[in-house]
Amino acid sequence: MRRTSGGIWAVVVVALLVVAGLAGPASALQVGEKAPDFTLTAPGGKQVKLADLLGKGPVVIYTFIQAFTPT
Amino acid sequence: MPQFEAMGAQVVGVSADAPGTLGAFQKENNISKQILAADWPRREMLQKYDAMVTDEKSPVFRYAKRAYFILDKSGTVKYMKVMDNPTVILSADEVIKAIKDSGAA
Repeated sequence: MRRTSGGIWAVVVVALLVVAGLAGPASALQVGEKAPDFTLTAPGGKQVKLADLLGKGPVVIYTFIQAFTPT
Repeated sequence: MPQFEAMGAQVVGVSADAPGTLGAFQKENNISKQILAADWPRREMLQKYDAMVTDEKSPVFRYAKRAYFILDKSGTVKYMKVMDNPTVILSADEVIKAIKDSGAA
């Protein structure tokens, strides 16, 4: 009987570890997911939302480190 | 760029600069590409896309990494490449190939 309850606890611990593991890195964006929405400001002050870019064709978003570095 | 226009692709560049800085950068270098500022609020967009340097010891801590995200027209991520080395740049041809190969077009 003791042995059985030890086994149950082992299962619970493993389950908790799996849940904790999933909750961590799962927040990073992955292929196949919906891209998170954003609203950014263009030079001149115009607000551009992700939704404004969608619907016409593929969207390429690239990030670059800073102004005055290659885009 | 004509190849992107032919596919109906929208291409935007994003950095952690303020819009005014990007405006000056764009003007001085005759950049016709669309560039956007992710400085505010709290560089949230870069964080959501996992494209911000989070290593406090890095000289470019909280700046943008060099990364590429290709979405289809409904907004699903089809391709992504986040680089640790910011000097590596994909050419237009490589990006077009990635658009085609990933099925984003």
